[in-house]
Amino acid sequence: MGGFLLRKAGAALVVVFCASVLVFVGVRALPGDPAIALSGESNDPAVLAAVRHEYGLDRPLPVQYAKWVWRALQGNLGLDDRRLPVAHTIVSRIPISLELALLSVLVGMVIGIPAGVIAAVRRGKPSDHAATTFALVGLSLPHFWLGLLMIIVFAVDLHWLPSGGYVSFGAHPISNLEHMAMPAIVLGTGLSAVLMRQMRSSMLTSLGADYVRTARAKGLSEWSVVCKHAFRNSLITVTTVVGLQLGALISGVVITEVIFVIPGFGHLTIDAITARDYTTIQGVVLVTATGYVLVNLLVDVVYSLLNPRIRVSGGSA
Amino acid sequence: MTRSLGRRTPLVLALVALAALVATAVAAARANAPSAPAIRNGGTLTIGLAEEPDALDPTLARTFVGRMVFLATCEKLYDLDSHLNIVPQLAASLPTVSKDKLTYTIKLRSGIKFNDGTPFNAAAVKESLERDLTLKGSVRASEISPIKSVSTQGSNTVVLHLSSPYSPLTAQLADRSGMVMSPKALAAEGTNFAQHPVCVGPFMFKDRVAGDHITLVKSPYYYAKNKVHFASIVYKIMTDPSARTQALKAGDIQVEDRIQATDVPSIQKDKNFQTIKSVTIGYQGLTLNIGNKSGVGKPYSNVGTPIAKSRDVRAAFEDALDRTTINKVVFGGLNQPGCFPIAPSSAWFSAVTKGLPCNLHANDAAAKQLIKASGIPTPITVHLLLGGTDPVNARLGQVIQAMEKQVGINVSIEATDFTTSLNRGTSGQFDTYAVGWSGRVDPDGNIYSFVATPGTLNYSGYSNPRLDYILNGARKSLTTKSRDTLYHAALQVISTDKPLIYLYYPVDYFGVSKKVTGVQAYGDGLIRAQFAGYVK
Amino acid sequence: MSYVDVAPALSPRARRRRILRRRFLRRPLAVVGLVVALVFVLGAILAPVVAPYSASATDFSSVLGPPSSNHLLGTDELGRDVFSRIVWGSRASIEAGVLSVLLAMVVAVPIGLAAGYFRGWIDTVIARLTDVLLAFPFLILAVGLAAILGPSLSNATLALGIGAVPALIRIARGEALALREEDYVRAAVANGAGELRIIARHVLPNMLSTLIVQGTVLIPTAIIGEAVLSYLGLGVQPPTPSWGVMLSDAQSYLTQAPRLAVYPGLAIFLCSLSFNLLGDGLRDILDPRTTR
Repeated sequence: MGGFLLRKAGAALVVVFCASVLVFVGVRALPGDPAIALSGESNDPAVLAAVRHEYGLDRPLPVQYAKWVWRALQGNLGLDDRRLPVAHTIVSRIPISLELALLSVLVGMVIGIPAGVIAAVRRGKPSDHAATTFALVGLSLPHFWLGLLMIIVFAVDLHWLPSGGYVSFGAHPISNLEHMAMPAIVLGTGLSAVLMRQMRSSMLTSLGADYVRTARAKGLSEWSVVCKHAFRNSLITVTTVVGLQLGALISGVVITEVIFVIPGFGHLTIDAITARDYTTIQGVVLVTATGYVLVNLLVDVVYSLLNPRIRVSGGSA
Repeated sequence: MTRSLGRRTPLVLALVALAALVATAVAAARANAPSAPAIRNGGTLTIGLAEEPDALDPTLARTFVGRMVFLATCEKLYDLDSHLNIVPQLAASLPTVSKDKLTYTIKLRSGIKFNDGTPFNAAAVKESLERDLTLKGSVRASEISPIKSVSTQGSNTVVLHLSSPYSPLTAQLADRSGMVMSPKALAAEGTNFAQHPVCVGPFMFKDRVAGDHITLVKSPYYYAKNKVHFASIVYKIMTDPSARTQALKAGDIQVEDRIQATDVPSIQKDKNFQTIKSVTIGYQGLTLNIGNKSGVGKPYSNVGTPIAKSRDVRAAFEDALDRTTINKVVFGGLNQPGCFPIAPSSAWFSAVTKGLPCNLHANDAAAKQLIKASGIPTPITVHLLLGGTDPVNARLGQVIQAMEKQVGINVSIEATDFTTSLNRGTSGQFDTYAVGWSGRVDPDGNIYSFVATPGTLNYSGYSNPRLDYILNGARKSLTTKSRDTLYHAALQVISTDKPLIYLYYPVDYFGVSKKVTGVQAYGDGLIRAQFAGYVK
Repeated sequence: MSYVDVAPALSPRARRRRILRRRFLRRPLAVVGLVVALVFVLGAILAPVVAPYSASATDFSSVLGPPSSNHLLGTDELGRDVFSRIVWGSRASIEAGVLSVLLAMVVAVPIGLAAGYFRGWIDTVIARLTDVLLAFPFLILAVGLAAILGPSLSNATLALGIGAVPALIRIARGEALALREEDYVRAAVANGAGELRIIARHVLPNMLSTLIVQGTVLIPTAIIGEAVLSYLGLGVQPPTPSWGVMLSDAQSYLTQAPRLAVYPGLAIFLCSLSFNLLGDGLRDILDPRTTR
């Protein structure tokens, strides 16, 4: 277990390092002189020179990179173009996106897991077909269209839920959930489709396994067999799906935050890119890549805990 | 002996009658006068801003919306009243100008403290002005560049020494250049002043989360504390206009900055809200690239496009545009179409635009004739640069495209983000550019930078020595009458050569909850809520 | 199989194709998917014929008009016919959707194949690089690329294609890894056949079915991706219509004309659903475990 983890962690570190280089180079590749963007509309050469010196744009690239990485390791991601610390902004906005992601996974599980179990148990029957079709519909439904439709119905027409914005949980728990309801449902729907399919497939496999037939033969009720397997499989399924769908989940959080105007981490990313706020872009993308790698590592660990076979065989490539 | 009342009685009776009359009149006036709603003290006002302010540092700030936050936290030497006249704020009176117009003496008010308790005095004003002039990266330097040096006389008088006459100076001191920063805070923070800004103001800075909100609290040091009612003001950044309106309706915010055109009718109809209409002194229009070949500040020479080469094509381009329809379709009829860089809400408008033609409707026939006269074969291709990828910019571009098509001009649209578009404007990489200006009280502020040869925002690359002579003269002269004549002549030149085509003056609509009273917006388009309060 | 079989002798390839066709026709949902997908593709190609108006024909006197005999789905905020714009808009979606996937395949398959087949240091390098690219969520990669390259349909297509490359490399690599262990490949190696020949004759053709399925299933992601990029202003430029742009324009008019948000989204949904159904059906019939 230790060696496995160490190898995985080492690989993760290499990936984060390469990602940081890619981020750094990529941001420099954005068109336009960053000094002009950082100083605003100024074309005063004295102003531009001052900006260049302050942001270190006049030093060679490797030096700039080294400075950036060194500062990042200390938690200093620089100042954005409002002279506010990027790290502080990121830290205050990540919890909002985390809440959205967690609520969406919850919604996905509540819908997808039971649907998958039912589809597997009633394989081939109408309820299976219905569930499978629903899954396909959920996969093809564009997030932002579902979001707009829900806004039209629940916010504009019925006035049941707010059309956007965010209220912190600490300040107003109920209002917070009202604001998060539609976004979580929008994101959770797509996730539930994938969960349903995965759950159905893994349930079918285990329900057909020998030891299950043995259990049935021993006279255990159908339901208890199903429930026991459903529980175990669901943990593995959710972990697998979260691992596979992590990229899609992050992308989904980004677009959902834009539609519902939630001031989370995803919205920060889009705003930074569209406003050419280089320092923030660097910080945000670095944190995203690092977070992605870390979560993947976590998924691998949890998965290996749940499924000992992986550990023994030395892990996937 | 009986006294006769005869001689005195009429007088007494008259006096009594007069007194009764006066008493009745006063009582009647009292009864009929609208009583101002009683304001209670306390509470938090939440304002939904349309954009995010940049650095809260007066020397470095560039955004329009930042000026709204400054209104509550950073008072200036001078301010504007509701008619856009310049009035003293931290200064005690308007500046005394020497005969040669090179020395401005400003008397300051006394007994004022910064929001960290330190005293406001001439030395602090001198330090702020010098920082504006010399700090590397200062955006204010070019606004007050004629100031050669600043000296103090005692602790209550500041003297500005100019290198050349500059009539827009007082107006500049009624904006960010006139904001005074606490020397103690400057010593502590230096260039990071924006993280903990301290000035003189009814409110002081508490905290800020980038992209989300800025929190201010009532200042215990302010000299007119009794006029301040809110305990705190929170500015929430809400760039999506539909979400902003939703937030106002839901009560999440009490003041909405710039309601989008499609939402204005529903807020106006809603009895819970009051709509404040502010006809601004800014303009929006099209900048045409005539001579900007290698960037603003470099030598200008004609770029050779049909728009640049032919004044007739430029005039035709303007004639094909129907300003009224643009206003109706793109902005729901809520802005004010017009043809000049000075807005009708400005005190200068009538004198300066007298007799100059302004067509609010298209004239396709005239446009086609002008194109014929230019000798350039149709279809003429013109590129239009939009400063934003939002739907409003897209609508504007497509409407212009459809209108120009009628006269044989093919417009191809390119939309970029605002910052990139500003860079392209500066470097001359455009044919026509849809951009505007938030407006300044002094007409120089709406004209000079854009069409004078040394203008720092002269994206058009327009260079006309005669216009330069007129504009410089207008800067140096101090009487309104001579400046009126000069600016009238300037507008005539601009109307003929058309380096810019002005389309409309933005009219801003602000939504205010009826639970709040005292919120105002003058022609400069800034929300003034620092002395407002909740209704009891 | 009886020797007295009177059925004409078909080559194994043709026989397999017939079996696949039969299986496909037995799946009504897959057939529906194919038909609808074809409708969209044909609609895109034949847009000038199908659309009654041009995409930019404005009519300022009848903005936000409801559906009528002149305008099947009504008019938008500039008086343009919504139905025509949906038909013309399908061009952007189909072009971005299909081209980006093709581009991704052309780039990713050789790389993944090389990694899986040759293993060794090539594999390690490619696997790590792919991991790095995968650390950036698809949308952020696409948005960043579109921001670097500038907003336009072709740049959006390029960005989407590049965004899909890492995942496809992984899939191609996995397939190649598995296939190189197959008996016939080992036999060919033992016989001394050249590597290129082995890849061309044995590995690549057997990856085809998986690749086709993956490609078909990727198309809806790319279509939605194009819509998202256009919604964010990083895709097609006005006045070119695109379903994503129509959705973003509609958001300002949600209270006045909500139907403007319904139609383009419906188009995106039906288009991706059809490709998903098709891809699902293909995966099912090509699965070796399938018997029907």
